[in-house]
Amino acid sequence: MKNNVKIARIKQSMTQQQLAERVGVTRQTIGLIEKGQYNPSLQLCIAIAKELNKTLDELFWEVDDE
Amino acid sequence: MKSWISFFLPDDEYKKKRMLYFLSEGSVILMFSLTIMMIFSNSFHLDAEISLLLPAAVFLVYVLGRYALSGIEYADIATEGAYKKELKHIFVRTGKFLGIYLLLYIAFIGIPSSQHDWVEMIGLILSISLLWFFVNYISLKRSYHKNKELL
Repeated sequence: MKNNVKIARIKQSMTQQQLAERVGVTRQTIGLIEKGQYNPSLQLCIAIAKELNKTLDELFWEVDDE
Repeated sequence: MKSWISFFLPDDEYKKKRMLYFLSEGSVILMFSLTIMMIFSNSFHLDAEISLLLPAAVFLVYVLGRYALSGIEYADIATEGAYKKELKHIFVRTGKFLGIYLLLYIAFIGIPSSQHDWVEMIGLILSISLLWFFVNYISLKRSYHKNKELL
């Protein structure tokens, strides 16, 4: 699943490790989410969105460019 | 989701999901191997001990193998420094394991009385330690490569 987690995280000057610790997962899980190789649960999506001060739409909603 | 198996699973949701897949796959293979053994039980004779241990070994080897090869064990090892540090930890852990195993062997089975018994004991301990080390080493290597790509 494509998402904007990496961009939002970098804008917040946060490392993968820091974000991982704050949402209670491993750095590997954050890396996999950012690369679109793992679809997180809704609970984890919300935790990430809260930590990055973004809405779920801003992080995970895919908009087709036409 | 409430289930007693959650007690044995990691907290990280990705790791948890992968572990559940490995355990499920292992269970299917276990059932498959039991069915094959049942079908061919008339064709060849197996001791009761082997019949019981073989499916359990198939399950354990499969789950352990999948876990080690998946690269999910060392989820935070992504730099060369951390990799080398963890490798040293594995060496130390293997050494400790070897020592504890040796003590337990002597405590429960006793000090070997003949040269043959010594060779048998050392051979067994070294084989298990080497297997333990290589499983950990492969797991670390796979984790390191996986994590490096995710940075």
